[in-house]
Amino acid sequence: MDKLRVVFAREYLERVRTRWFLIATIFGPLVFGALIFVPPWLASRSKASSDVSRIVILDATGTTLGTSIATELNGGLQGDTSRTAVRAVTPATLAAAESLATRQAVSNTVLGYLVLDSATLSGHSARYAGTNATSSADMERLQKIVQTKVLEQRLAQAGVDPFQSAALTRINVDLNADRISERGRGGSAKVSIYFAFAVALLLYTSILFYGQAVLRSVIDEKQSRVAEVVVASVPARTLLAGKVLGVGAVGLTQMLIWVAASYALVRLRVQMLTRMGLPIGQSILPDISLSLAIVLLLFFLLGYIFYAALFAAVGATVSNEQDAQQAQMPIIMLLIVSIFALTPILTAPQSTLAYTMGWLPFSAPIVMPLRMSVVSLEPLDIGTSLVILGCSCYIAVWLAARVYRTGLLMYGKRATVGEVLRWVGRAR
Amino acid sequence: MPDFAIELDHVVKRYDLHVAVRDLSLRVPTGTVYGLLGPNGAGKTTTLRMILDVIAPDSGTIRVMGRPNNAKGAIDRVGYLPEERGLYRRMQVRRVLRFLAELKGIPRGEANRRIDAWLERLSLSTGERDWGNARVDDLSRGMQQKVQFIGALLHEPELIILDEPFSGLDPINAQALKDIVIEMKRAGKTVIFSTHLMDQAERMCDAVCILARGEKVLDGAVADVKGAHGGRHILLELDAGPWNGVAEVLTDRALVSRMDDANRSLDVELAEGATSQQLLRRLVDAGASIRRFELAQPSLHRIFIDRVGATGIEEGMTGNG
Repeated sequence: MDKLRVVFAREYLERVRTRWFLIATIFGPLVFGALIFVPPWLASRSKASSDVSRIVILDATGTTLGTSIATELNGGLQGDTSRTAVRAVTPATLAAAESLATRQAVSNTVLGYLVLDSATLSGHSARYAGTNATSSADMERLQKIVQTKVLEQRLAQAGVDPFQSAALTRINVDLNADRISERGRGGSAKVSIYFAFAVALLLYTSILFYGQAVLRSVIDEKQSRVAEVVVASVPARTLLAGKVLGVGAVGLTQMLIWVAASYALVRLRVQMLTRMGLPIGQSILPDISLSLAIVLLLFFLLGYIFYAALFAAVGATVSNEQDAQQAQMPIIMLLIVSIFALTPILTAPQSTLAYTMGWLPFSAPIVMPLRMSVVSLEPLDIGTSLVILGCSCYIAVWLAARVYRTGLLMYGKRATVGEVLRWVGRAR
Repeated sequence: MPDFAIELDHVVKRYDLHVAVRDLSLRVPTGTVYGLLGPNGAGKTTTLRMILDVIAPDSGTIRVMGRPNNAKGAIDRVGYLPEERGLYRRMQVRRVLRFLAELKGIPRGEANRRIDAWLERLSLSTGERDWGNARVDDLSRGMQQKVQFIGALLHEPELIILDEPFSGLDPINAQALKDIVIEMKRAGKTVIFSTHLMDQAERMCDAVCILARGEKVLDGAVADVKGAHGGRHILLELDAGPWNGVAEVLTDRALVSRMDDANRSLDVELAEGATSQQLLRRLVDAGASIRRFELAQPSLHRIFIDRVGATGIEEGMTGNG
């Protein structure tokens, strides 16, 4: 146990001390932060540049709707409303006003004009014509403002006082952002699908990355011939265990830092966006419960151990990186199969394919978290998958230890499959 | 301290295509320098690895300092320098050494103290430069070899196992290693090393075991081995003189089984049943003018060639056997 600790500590500390680890660890939260803050920032930038407020509003409603829209377009009561021209018209003079506004738009004095009439007041339609009519961002913003202001107007007509109606309409916007579908969290929601993809890809890359780190570590010890010195002090299986656990702990450390940073970023998102004066859009992360997070972590750990053991066994059968590239292909293939199945499983997370791949040990660590992110699974389903994966880990480690202790002292040519099988069969 | 540092009883190790060690039994007395001799592929490395429990024998028992070698902690007091040597190349020298010491159960503080002493002793840490803080691959090959010695000796082992220790060493490091081996012996430790260089074994070893094709050819104290093989060889130098009668004596198969004529001196091996006295009398009777008649002690090299011969080297064997 003490020797395991020594091997583990060396593997862990030597990795954590590298510059690479530092860079990768900082890089994760940076990317995540960018995902949160850059889109709203870009959005606010693009809004400022295409100046939606430089339009003419032809108000044929005979109400203050046009004025209130102009105020909102220019940033509320404190805004400068001079850029938006509001012309009160009657249905009779509308046609003439429209042709004047068209000429202005053609000569680029204004971007376009918005027509408000009785159909607008009744909540059916408003018309817009302008040079920026194809900009969906502009149109969305215009539409939203018109909608809100019509609602306010109608609330006012129904006898709700203006302050109250403003508050009511504002609340309405927030409700939209938090919409939850009947089919559970996610379902059709884009957010969940993105999240599921991200989780699956993150698991895939981490398992591959840290699995290969174990492989390289084994080859490095063989190539530098330090392996024999070490196994003269510790049993080969202890060296293998220390190595797999040490590298795994590095991965876990990195993930915990990433998760903690992401969690902090998500918690502070609204606060920070407000302070930066950026609009608060929809979050790119759905809420993850603690139990889900623990199960995800469990799948990562078991998946990592399963693949790391296989990678270690492969490392023991070769003597250099070139041979390793070829020898590890079957294992990488096993991992890639899960990636190919991502889309079919996402579209039908309860299909036979999804169940089967969720239970097979080589795809479970990626497929199960993917399924869990889009639908809520039966505990029995998750449990079965974990039990199968756990047993497979045990078998993989057992096999790897046998291949490892013989292969570790074999230098020179790459071992054939037959030889490796004989190593497994041999007692020691 | 038990009488024997290493005891092997009927040890067998088979590989897929050949038997590396067959029914090997040997005793290494505590406090001696012991040589394991043999051509490439004789099973020396396999034997040493089995003693260290790096690989397990198919049958037979191995005891190290009185305990089964696979008992917990049995090899913690053993130091090992394999033929294929290496260190973690990207690690700092001090950290590698501390790692190796901790694997043998030496606490960190004690390890640090010993590392400093050793680095200084082998002049890896001098007033102007402390190589202990450098990365292993920043060191020259010679310096890396020194670090490797330190790694094998840091835990102050009672038994030191060296596999072909002098191959690839520069003369300065070879001398340093020889000094360390002698110092260990003086301190009552046991040193066992394998080599195919007979003259080196002859200079350093108290006892030897010669292996060929995985089998023990002979073993014992060097003096005994030589004694057992001495008395049959006679170094003879003659003044020029009547040669005919002398030649007749030397070619008598009943008296001389073999003769190596090196022009000025003759290496004569007595035939079975013949004695040196008979030979001397016959030579005098034949009128030989004898300048030198010496009962020669055969060299280990001679014994090795006699006992193992050219057939001791199996074809297709690697240096890792």
